[in-house]
Amino acid sequence: MTTALILLLLVLGAYLVAVIESWAHSGRFQLSAPLLAGIALLGRESIVPRKPDRIFYEVAPVLLLISAVLAATVIPLTPELIIADLATGALFINAALVYVLVALLMAGWGPNGAYAMIGGWRFLGQLIAYAMLIVMPITAVAMRAESLLTTQIVISQSGLWNILYQPIGFILFFVAAMALAFLPPFDLPNAKSELAGGVEAEYSGVRLAVFRLGRLALIITLASATVVFYLGGWQGPWLPPWAWSAIKILAVTATMLLAGRYMPRIREDNLLGWCWILGIPLALLNIFLVGVLVLVFP
Amino acid sequence: MISGARQGKLSGLRQLVASAMARDPGTFVVPGHDIAWAHGLDLEAAGLQQVASPRHASVLLVIGDIPPALREAAAVIYAQMMRPRIILALGSTDLSPLPAADIVAGISQQELANGVHTLRAALAKGAFHPDVSDFDAPVLQIRIEYTCSMHPEIIRDEPGSCPKCGMTLIQREAQATAAHEHTDHPKMKDDEHAGMDHSMQHETPVEYTCPMHPEVVQNEPGSCPKCGMDLEPREEQADAMHDHQHMDHDAAIEYTCPMHPEVVQNEPGSCPKCGMNLEPLAAHDKQDHAGMDHSNMDHSSMDHSSMDHSNMEGMAFMSMIDVTKDLPRSGDGLPMEWIEAPFGPFLPGLPGGLLLTLTLDGDTVAAASARSLTENTGLFKPAPIDSQSFIEQLSDMNPLAPVSYRLLACRALEDAAGIDVPIISAHARIGALERERITSHLGWLALFGQQTGFDWLTQRAAVLQRKTRHAGLKQISALKPALQSMIKRLLKAPLLKSRTVGIGKLTPDTVLYGPVARACGINNDARSTEKIFTTLGFKPARRDAGDVLARLHIRLDEIMHSISLIEAAGAISPPAPVTTGTLSGTGKAVIETPRGMAGLQLTLQDGQVATTQLHTPSTSHVALINPLLEQQALGDALTAVCSLDLSPWEIQP
Repeated sequence: MTTALILLLLVLGAYLVAVIESWAHSGRFQLSAPLLAGIALLGRESIVPRKPDRIFYEVAPVLLLISAVLAATVIPLTPELIIADLATGALFINAALVYVLVALLMAGWGPNGAYAMIGGWRFLGQLIAYAMLIVMPITAVAMRAESLLTTQIVISQSGLWNILYQPIGFILFFVAAMALAFLPPFDLPNAKSELAGGVEAEYSGVRLAVFRLGRLALIITLASATVVFYLGGWQGPWLPPWAWSAIKILAVTATMLLAGRYMPRIREDNLLGWCWILGIPLALLNIFLVGVLVLVFP
Repeated sequence: MISGARQGKLSGLRQLVASAMARDPGTFVVPGHDIAWAHGLDLEAAGLQQVASPRHASVLLVIGDIPPALREAAAVIYAQMMRPRIILALGSTDLSPLPAADIVAGISQQELANGVHTLRAALAKGAFHPDVSDFDAPVLQIRIEYTCSMHPEIIRDEPGSCPKCGMTLIQREAQATAAHEHTDHPKMKDDEHAGMDHSMQHETPVEYTCPMHPEVVQNEPGSCPKCGMDLEPREEQADAMHDHQHMDHDAAIEYTCPMHPEVVQNEPGSCPKCGMNLEPLAAHDKQDHAGMDHSNMDHSSMDHSSMDHSNMEGMAFMSMIDVTKDLPRSGDGLPMEWIEAPFGPFLPGLPGGLLLTLTLDGDTVAAASARSLTENTGLFKPAPIDSQSFIEQLSDMNPLAPVSYRLLACRALEDAAGIDVPIISAHARIGALERERITSHLGWLALFGQQTGFDWLTQRAAVLQRKTRHAGLKQISALKPALQSMIKRLLKAPLLKSRTVGIGKLTPDTVLYGPVARACGINNDARSTEKIFTTLGFKPARRDAGDVLARLHIRLDEIMHSISLIEAAGAISPPAPVTTGTLSGTGKAVIETPRGMAGLQLTLQDGQVATTQLHTPSTSHVALINPLLEQQALGDALTAVCSLDLSPWEIQP
């Protein structure tokens, strides 16, 4: 029951992400657009490029979707509304999202085309930039909660949300999450103007629909993870827990989607440079500061 | 029924799907968004969503008349689109080899909106049809040929047996035309090596290579296994495999650094990068020659990477060093398989019609070439033509700057005919020229925004461009605050500096024109030599950095300068037609177009234009692309090309 409800909410969330994304991109708010686009894609041809690596080509969109759904299983929307409250929940999110890289590399290699392949390579480089900045802030969050249970992490923020308790960690995680979801300005693997869509370029019809659904689910999952780790999850006054989760998740999603509109795409070497030279020392500093705070104010 | 319908009966559920398709028209724009903006079209407002990959498109939007080379490229795009697909043509007369347009409309926002309305109805009704035919065009055809597995030089159009060994010929596909190379979706070359016979006979001093595929090299005449063209003989280039025979007399010894293969000098010494002692190297042994000559790489890399060759002895199994030792090296020294891929002619963020061919070493450009598919070869034919049609032809040549070229034609004709222009209309012409500079620079800003994925800039600049296109004096002044606030906000955008500083750096010793020149501290503005401009208070803009940011700054400065010039000129109107009567003479004129100085020389015979000589800035700038792009990351390279603001329409063959 919980599983079905969460999956339903995930689809609904993905739908809202699509609405916000088209709004961020074109400045027009059309509630029906993603539904029509989805139905239309199902009716169109799904062309297979010449000489593809068939297994990689077919599996990649599905794997992207699976990876996002897996990560969503440990996200608590209310104290009870969670598919699996794993003892290693916080770590599990990270583990599930590693398959995003695998999916994109397969999508890059599979179609046997130059643009897709460069897109796949670029995402491999991007992983080297963001991967540590996902894990290290989560470490600091788990230190405060003294648990990897995602529900426990939410409860640990009842006094003060982590966004205020460890702001450095929040900024790093937020940026890394955007890079992981390859949202603009981190859309290097699927840049329209550089690679004509890159990893997405060779997918069409129903396969493209699955690919896009996977990406939308990934965005909503990452926004939910940000809410659970830093924005106090379901907690909040007056409204019921599920409402707070929904409001916070949509607000984070909108911020993630709108940010890229107001800046040019990042350069790959800058992304790597900044993440390692600036990001990782900051993440270590964050862990140190949280450690001191945990010891001094237990 | 539409020509690109998908097979099936339109019934039940499909009706619902078809009406959903009608509401979601992903559109691929030919020749490009720059042309749509220059015509003042707002595709999003008309309900068309732009897509970058033909695979995601269901509508092919063709704007204006496009030359045959571009139509062929568009046919390749159309063939890759998902069915049901539909063609919407605005003001185009001939689309072949594309099928005839399903919907035809004129070039205006109103007509576009009507066209989209009709298109939706056509899609909802005709998306599926029981009998559909495949789209085919000569440019798409793949020829089947027959060859002998032992003697690749034997190629026949029909099945049969090999005249040399009697074996049955095997079937394979050959690409019929070279144009196939220009599809948006290149095929990797890596799977083509299998089965190629590379016999290692070194006796023959002559090799045969394909003019289109330099990596195809064989010792006997025949035809190219990739495209079927006849191979051409050439002097064998000594490569790593042959140098034991040719290491003699004229081979100059060069010295290189073991760590930095790009460091090559004629005398021994130490590496300027790391200080290591340089090692001697035979001149023709250099790896970086491979940048232009792929024969080295494919010929030998194949022998090391394919597993069934006999020369595997003494080599570690799948050793990366052995596998990659003959691959071409770029500046970073990392060996990778190079890919040649086309960028354009319809890539968003590049001017429509510009075809860049980049040889990519990973994400780095190893070599680049550019050519225009819209160069105007048929211009000014037949000569002599009367002066009025000459003006129209020149003005239609470049849809990105029609007023500038109209003015250029008028001025040259007036010079030839000895006509003086009254000061009032001279001022009005300046108003029109400067207004076009503003719209052109705004169009470039929109393109730059698209290139860098900066959506806000694209939308803002396109809106302002639509407003300035036909604006009068008062409206231009009224737009000033909006332009100023856009510029202010743009320059404050995060990541803008890191994206543009030091990218695409040009030096003043190159031949440059217009904003590109002024961004590297060269003042060659044609306006500064004209008295009328100086009396209006014109001062040329100037920056010294020579990079993308400097070019952005220059164009932003010029937008504001042009507003002041228009306000000083006090009128805006394009030049009136010139009547040349039956005069004869020669005339010339120079105009500072938005892209730089354009010059025209012409001779007039009995009032008819007999000979012309045209010089345009983009013709010179297109030659900058290869040196500018070498060893740049792909994103930087494309930003650099975009920052040159080339107009493929004015590039002369």
